[in-house]
Amino acid sequence: MKLMTCPINGSRPISEFFYGGELRSMPDPNMVTDEVWADYVFHRNNAPGIKCEWWCHIPSNSWFIAERNTLTDEIIHTYLWGEVV
Amino acid sequence: MNQRRLPLISGEWIDRSQPIEFTFEGTRFTGYVGDTIASALWASGQQILGRSFKYHRPRGILSLANHDVNTLMQSGQKLNIRADVTPLEDGMTLSAINTFGGVMGDRASAIEFFSPFLPVGFYYKAFNSKRLFPFWERLIRNMTGLGQVDFSTPHIRTAKRYDFCDLLVIGAGISGLSAALSAADLGADVVIVDESARAGGSGHYQLGNDPLQLEKTNELLSAVENHPRIRLYTQTQAAGYYADRWIPLLDRDRFTKMRAKTVIAATGAYEQPAVFRNNDLPGVILSSAAQRLIYRYAVKPMNRAVVLVANADGYRAVIDLITNGVTVVAVVDLRESSLKSDVAQTLEQQGISIFLGYCVYEARANPGRDGVSAAVICPIDVNGNPQTGFRQTIACDGIVVSVGWAPAANLLYQAGTKMRFNKRLQQFVPEVLPSGVFACGRVNGVFEFEQKLIDGHRAGLEAAAHLGFDSQIEVTISPELESPSHPWAIVEHPAGKNFVDFDEDLQYKDFLNAAQEGFDNIELLKRYTTVGMGASQGKHSNMSALRILARITGKTPGEVGTTTSRPFFHPVPLSHLAGRGFTPEQRTPLHSRHVKLNAKFMLAGMWQRPEYYAQSGKSREECICLEAQAVRHQVGIIDVGTLGKFEIRGADAAEFLERVYAGRYSKMKIGTTRYALMLDETGVTIDDGMIARLGAEHFYFTTTTSGATAIYRELSRLNTLWRLDCGIVNLTGARSAINLAGQYSRDVLSKLTDLDLSSVAFSYLAVRETHIQNIPVMLMRVGFVGEWGYEIHVAADSAPALWDLLLEAGFEYDICPFGVEAQRLLRLEKGHLIIGQDTDGLTTPIEAGLEWAVKMDKSFFIGQRSLQILAKRPIKQILIGFMLDPNFQGTPPQECHLIIHGNEIAGRVTSVAFSPILNRHIGLAYVKPELAAIADLISIRLSDGTIVSATITPTPFYDPETSRQQEDVTQLQEVTV
Amino acid sequence: MIRRISPNHDRLQSLNGTWRDINGMPSLVSIPGDDRIVANLGIADLSFLTRFGVKGAGAVAWLESQKLEVPDRANTWKPLPDGGIIARLGLTEFLIEDSLHSSFALRLAEACQSVPAKVYPVLRQDAAIVLCGKAIQDLLRQTCSVNFQALSLAEHPVILTLMVGVSVTIIPILPDRYRIWCDGTFGAYLWETLLTIAQELGGGVVGVDRLI
Repeated sequence: MKLMTCPINGSRPISEFFYGGELRSMPDPNMVTDEVWADYVFHRNNAPGIKCEWWCHIPSNSWFIAERNTLTDEIIHTYLWGEVV
Repeated sequence: MNQRRLPLISGEWIDRSQPIEFTFEGTRFTGYVGDTIASALWASGQQILGRSFKYHRPRGILSLANHDVNTLMQSGQKLNIRADVTPLEDGMTLSAINTFGGVMGDRASAIEFFSPFLPVGFYYKAFNSKRLFPFWERLIRNMTGLGQVDFSTPHIRTAKRYDFCDLLVIGAGISGLSAALSAADLGADVVIVDESARAGGSGHYQLGNDPLQLEKTNELLSAVENHPRIRLYTQTQAAGYYADRWIPLLDRDRFTKMRAKTVIAATGAYEQPAVFRNNDLPGVILSSAAQRLIYRYAVKPMNRAVVLVANADGYRAVIDLITNGVTVVAVVDLRESSLKSDVAQTLEQQGISIFLGYCVYEARANPGRDGVSAAVICPIDVNGNPQTGFRQTIACDGIVVSVGWAPAANLLYQAGTKMRFNKRLQQFVPEVLPSGVFACGRVNGVFEFEQKLIDGHRAGLEAAAHLGFDSQIEVTISPELESPSHPWAIVEHPAGKNFVDFDEDLQYKDFLNAAQEGFDNIELLKRYTTVGMGASQGKHSNMSALRILARITGKTPGEVGTTTSRPFFHPVPLSHLAGRGFTPEQRTPLHSRHVKLNAKFMLAGMWQRPEYYAQSGKSREECICLEAQAVRHQVGIIDVGTLGKFEIRGADAAEFLERVYAGRYSKMKIGTTRYALMLDETGVTIDDGMIARLGAEHFYFTTTTSGATAIYRELSRLNTLWRLDCGIVNLTGARSAINLAGQYSRDVLSKLTDLDLSSVAFSYLAVRETHIQNIPVMLMRVGFVGEWGYEIHVAADSAPALWDLLLEAGFEYDICPFGVEAQRLLRLEKGHLIIGQDTDGLTTPIEAGLEWAVKMDKSFFIGQRSLQILAKRPIKQILIGFMLDPNFQGTPPQECHLIIHGNEIAGRVTSVAFSPILNRHIGLAYVKPELAAIADLISIRLSDGTIVSATITPTPFYDPETSRQQEDVTQLQEVTV
Repeated sequence: MIRRISPNHDRLQSLNGTWRDINGMPSLVSIPGDDRIVANLGIADLSFLTRFGVKGAGAVAWLESQKLEVPDRANTWKPLPDGGIIARLGLTEFLIEDSLHSSFALRLAEACQSVPAKVYPVLRQDAAIVLCGKAIQDLLRQTCSVNFQALSLAEHPVILTLMVGVSVTIIPILPDRYRIWCDGTFGAYLWETLLTIAQELGGGVVGVDRLI
């Protein structure tokens, strides 16, 4: 079973984690057209590559970011949101 | 009996002081502790051990290495017994599977005569007819199948466990033992596993009568067994390779989930059969199987042998046979020349003919068809084609085959190893290994004994270095002197029956036919022919199939490639996979109270909740009805402790709530509550609850039971992202909640608290913190079920005491505990929707009639922007209330029944129930807006097509003026509709 | 004193043990035969101990202002004077549990009536269990994927993980003494599951008098 390293709790099996989707920034709702907003809300980028993703360590409810290669499933780096990498 | 048992062999696995009695196919046999079923039967002269899958041909021992699928047996309730490796046990009553009338006289062997009509691809072509398939199915079920299930077999579960190590070595043969020692000596914590009953691998039986090899093997084994940092597990299979070096280890009793920091595959290689006519006769046996018979079980494989060789292993096997009393009449070498010329000379001097550049063309059966009577040999040309003009027949009662190996690289493939075909070795070897994974020994293309030791040593050093132990890796492996595998040990024959895959009864010509039909790619070839899909999963057949395809298509084996290797390596019993089965369950602190009150529980998510409280002599519907009536007429009490409960504090607490909920909360007065609707980014309703303001910077809010966990998680994420000055605490499990509802609820409560409960001091939807007999509680006046009532929140460990107090105080008012079903009915009478029941994954507040709970003029909330877009569009459906006729008889509609208008779907029912207080069926449904006028009729279609008419009614159905929440409610007013 | 009920109360009721009220909670203090079990593998319910939780960026400073010595690293614990435990759960959350002789929880709960900013009290209603005996590792190996034997107990680790599917906090106090906390609503399930396995391993329920 795949291992994921929680920045606070260390290396644990992936069953201890919850995937929270790709890290995306919300556009300013007041400044964008309906089309741009709909694209943000409904579309996701499925192209393989290195993505930053939200992950949560369930037992400790710790949210963090994982940089993961979605093609090879290699987890490159995990860090807390807001940390300078 | 036991006419083939040899005198004492040093290191034999059998214990001659412990004989075992057993039966096979009704006949009594004797063996010893340490025997496998196959070795004991062979020792007694029983050669037919099973019948093949398709043609029901007699089969005997092939590999003795857990690939002998044709000798699968059954003993009582135990199925899938692999006779070649399963230890013999007292009292076994074995039978062959897949026979009609027993293994000796299998009537189904008549199928063989139909074999020309059962070509490859037969299954796809013949059974495709829809009309005829039921007939075929019955026939096939009777004829095939690999055992008879006894449905009274007990369900066994074996506990799983976790385990950890620095290095897992898979395979305890020469190279594996060497690797384990090297790594352990440097400080690694090593686990080494082997599927056989004892470790040592081929070091104990591929001897060529060399005592030094045996000595060295035993030395290694002893060192491993005594090493403080090595754990040796025999009879343990490494069943697969999963991410990050997670390896399931299977032994007889349990399934261990091993997490290894590094892995060495020392898994060896599968000996490959040669393909010639009748190569499946009992008595045609792989050389390593013959050697195992001799050295492990002290069984003479045959009396007179013809040995087919193409490598050094073959000559070693010849010597082992001769040393142990087998007459070798001829050695047939597929190669024109071999390096073992000195050995060959010695053999010739002993009167053994050596035939270089020859093949075995055909094996002849004895009259009883249970063994070999002769081998027909002939020379082969440069392309491996038989020159039948020069054939000779040699009498023998066994043919030993040593023509090559295929690496047992399954776990390496699963780990993502890139393999490369080595032309010299004629096998695939690892080219690029994943980080932390290493290979040594025959799976790595190293066959010579001394070289295997060195290769294991090297792998151990590399693993230790990877683990951070200090190790100098300067090891050189000498290349093999001769190829261990022949590129083409396959002989065509006009009469066929030269088998490539013994599990599936596939002959050489089946592959030619498949390629001709266009299935000329390894993936297609596999699926069309079914090669490698039998119970041994291609261990003895995939390589041959690959070579055949390469020859047909003119490609190299490397270009043809292999199909995907998948777990499990050998079959895994379901009892081991099932484990204990952990199913978490949540109980409220009041659970024991519900049990005492005869609650019938239901599962709501992970929670056990009372559906209703059973009363003797009353049906479920009657109980629910009585509970609901009790709430309407006097007072009821329900455990709502499963609700999500959260506290948020901080300067930005109000701001946070304003962003995540659709309503306005920043101006709420302290001591009040408000309905809260939660949307997702697309504007869809996802949850609802109540928000209570307890202080300027202190709120308490509830969610639905099913939404609690996910909502807390997502709110935590948003709090992390937004970095507002607030903190959220999840009190769902820490607090219990009880609803006291009914016109006497205030009377009950006033006996227990000093708090002023008048409607002036404690108005509808207000919240108060107080004590009930020194238990701190929070009270909210709520209206979900439509009666004067209080939701009481309390610390979990005080809930049972509180419940008891409430029941005691309520006794004089006939207080009635009510469950989930009664509550659902009561809320429906008030027209209150339930998120997830009366809304779905696309419902917006507009459609659900919840616009009043949405404040679009806030600066930002989740879902706001999407609602702005949706507001510009026509709505497709709207939630309405309906009632059936007062005198309705017949089957009422159910949830999800459709509303039909002019032959089109115009909506669906979301909630429906019979209301005892209104004496009518009521419900909620979505309909197209143009059909939603009050008093209009709608047509609901039941499952059987009947149409039921209903009238659209305003909601709430019951007490539309909310007079039940006003002071001076003493008696139930006459309710007219 | 308010009568408190343990999440595991019903499970223990059916045993033939002796009870005593501790901190207002009926508690199983001894059970026939538990003196033999305790060295091998005993499981006892410690839900009666008083507890206090707090989290937030200001929690460290506030606890120090309450005269507590706070663990300086995430996921570590310190003993409290008079035998209790203060555990740092992750970066900014704390669990304080009293022994029978201390009352930090009560004092802190009172002090929490008016807390400074960024200090958030957490109501703790855990099901609290203690495992004791030499067969603890066998039980853990069947229920939890963390390698406890690789931990250095001298560093006072606190482990937040899943055990038989339930979120738990585990503190190895000693090699033969482990403390486990979980949400009280999962308490019955966790207790029952661990007890079944413990009994198979030759262990069972012990009364708290055996341990304290």
